[in-house]
Amino acid sequence: MSWGSLLWRNLARNKLRSALTGGAIALAIALVCFLATMPDGMNRLLEQFASGTRVVVHNEAGLVYPLPYAYLQKVRAMRGVVAATSWTWFGGVFVDEEGVSFPNFAIEPDQVGVVFEDYGIAPEALAEFRSRRDAALVGRATLRRYGWKPGDLVTLKGTVFPVDLRFRIVGEIPSERAPHFWFQREYLEQAVAASGGRLDFLGTIWVRVDDPARVDPLLREIDETFHNSEAQTSTETEKSYFKNFFGMLEGLVMLIMIVTALVAVCIVFIAANTASMTVRERMREIAILKSIGFSRRLVFGMLVGEATLLATLAGAVGAFASLGLSQLVRAAAGGWNPAMGPLASFIVTNTILVEGLFLAFFIGMLSGVVPSLGAARRGVVQTLREVF
Amino acid sequence: MALPLRYSLGNLLARRTRTALTLGVVAVVVLATTLLLALVSSLRRTLISTGSPDNLIVLRKGATNDGSSALPLDAYQALRYFEGIARGADGEPLVSPELVVQPFFRTRDGGRENVLVRGVEPVALAVHDSVRIVEGRMFNPSSGEVIVGDGVAGRYEGAAVGEQIRFGRGTWQVVGRFASGGDSLESEVWVDVRELARDAKRPLPYSGLRVRAAPGADLDALARRIGDEPRWALEAERETAYYAEQSKSADALYLIVIGLAVLSGIGAICGATNTLYASVQARTAEIGTLRALGFSRGAILSAFLIESLLMASAGFAIGGLFAWGLAAAISSSLGGVGFAAATFTTSVIDLHVGFLDLCWAALLSLVIGLVGGWFPALRAARLRPMEALRRA
Repeated sequence: MSWGSLLWRNLARNKLRSALTGGAIALAIALVCFLATMPDGMNRLLEQFASGTRVVVHNEAGLVYPLPYAYLQKVRAMRGVVAATSWTWFGGVFVDEEGVSFPNFAIEPDQVGVVFEDYGIAPEALAEFRSRRDAALVGRATLRRYGWKPGDLVTLKGTVFPVDLRFRIVGEIPSERAPHFWFQREYLEQAVAASGGRLDFLGTIWVRVDDPARVDPLLREIDETFHNSEAQTSTETEKSYFKNFFGMLEGLVMLIMIVTALVAVCIVFIAANTASMTVRERMREIAILKSIGFSRRLVFGMLVGEATLLATLAGAVGAFASLGLSQLVRAAAGGWNPAMGPLASFIVTNTILVEGLFLAFFIGMLSGVVPSLGAARRGVVQTLREVF
Repeated sequence: MALPLRYSLGNLLARRTRTALTLGVVAVVVLATTLLLALVSSLRRTLISTGSPDNLIVLRKGATNDGSSALPLDAYQALRYFEGIARGADGEPLVSPELVVQPFFRTRDGGRENVLVRGVEPVALAVHDSVRIVEGRMFNPSSGEVIVGDGVAGRYEGAAVGEQIRFGRGTWQVVGRFASGGDSLESEVWVDVRELARDAKRPLPYSGLRVRAAPGADLDALARRIGDEPRWALEAERETAYYAEQSKSADALYLIVIGLAVLSGIGAICGATNTLYASVQARTAEIGTLRALGFSRGAILSAFLIESLLMASAGFAIGGLFAWGLAAAISSSLGGVGFAAATFTTSVIDLHVGFLDLCWAALLSLVIGLVGGWFPALRAARLRPMEALRRA
């Protein structure tokens, strides 16, 4: 009989116990993987999706304070600026009851493809976005949430401006983490003008810089340019912008990480408990194995191997289950959530899966070590005397 | 005859490692669940308790919150004299015109957050009847003075009474601090409405109105009358309903907490079941003896159930205590837990384990104890005395 099948048989000896332990560990690993998606969503946004050569200009006083529209042309003319586009919050509502359920902005279509090069928007979609007045580019998550596809007509009710706009979706922003809905600024300008108003401001300006080394000087240059004007700006890198924007979630992230750690501790307890029970019940046969010549090391390895195998198998099941769990939550509560930002992306990445699996592996091993060491060290004669 | 409680207790103490580990599982599950329950209930307390049942909020039609609304001066002037509106001590109608702006504030640890700044007139204190000045005094109009909510005072730079705070385009003198029963108004800063409109360069001075209905008046009828007024496209809603709607952004969190409680509870049930099965197995001979001595099946069943329940309640006590301490530690170290409201402003949540949270956690550990103990106890009760003795 090979070692592998011996381990397996040992696990199968008390099927109920193995199933209960395995089930508990699988559940806990699934929870850990799921909870880990929340801080992970924030990290990814900052580390991977925030581009190092994209900077954002906004009013120093706050994001709801507008900037004059003329700032865009001034920024575009600066040295080192490859492309720039402005975002103006439209606050459009698709379903009345849901309120603003995805961020929608009026933008200039001409340079958006360059500023957000890394989003990988198809050139045909960009071309159509430029050519149609009522065109809209929509993030993948939002498309999926409402079952929209390119070619669909969608009407958004304005909450900031007293106008309702009808859009034709011309393409997708192919990123799971971009819920945005972008449309042409000119379309909004005309609608506002028709209702008797005038749109002469913008919200934020997004700038693509040609050289990472030029980013810092440019940040200073922009802020100095507008220093003594009617609206002072604050310019920062995309990463710092997101960090600040979601800074208020810090406490929530901390709480979630504490809870995740607690659930992981739980796995240690469950696994250690089972390992200690198993070892205790097998005192006799361990003593016999040793007395017929099996080494301590083998006995120890066998017991630890059993605990590790069980935990790892359960961990694999749990990690896999977290994929389903996250999908369920995404379907029920996912999408863009203004209160939780990137915490609510609920995407179990491969890294999280592997981490969950390793966590199970190490915990299994760890939990087996103490009782197995005791069993391997125990004197044969003493044990046999006690048991018989 | 029933087995004495000491029997169950003694069994738990006889296998200390095993008991400690299982107890640890229950305690950790209780701790994790209670912390999240406390977060949810603190959020609810803050967001939902906001608003008076006698008040209406009036916004522009289509606006989902007062941050995205604007209404003309003449609408305010006309609405004041609608029938069914309460009057203050001075005979003036209790209608509070308000402007909401969300500027950046610097947190004490160097961060930057959007805070809701509400421009008001002195009548606001009579309309928002939950608000009380607890330190300093009300601001004087047009003198660059502000009063800050309880949650704001500790969290932001220069926000304590007597200090100067920078936001918007200017620097403001903090002259008072107000409390509002722990609701989300405490995360706000109040300032003279005209001064705020000037600072924010808003063409229309007001984003919305808060209206206090006269005692006995029909709020819904009043709301309908305001909504039907054809001169301005306005919409009136009960304040309580408005804040309940605003708190919907926390729904995803509720879902996660419930799911987490259920799943980790099942995990703990598995752990408890395991331990008790092992304990039944190890005590087969003993159970056989007890049965032979004349103890009934019911007595055995209840002895094991009691054992399991004892374990669960000890776990609950330890977990609950830790949760209470940890929540207080987190809340005081961060100056409250920040949460983003639908208006993108920060609500400062005072994380606090309430009695109801503990009740839910107690229920969870009761279920863990009962379900985790049931099957092993049943197995023990079903052992036939002769077989049990022989097997041993």
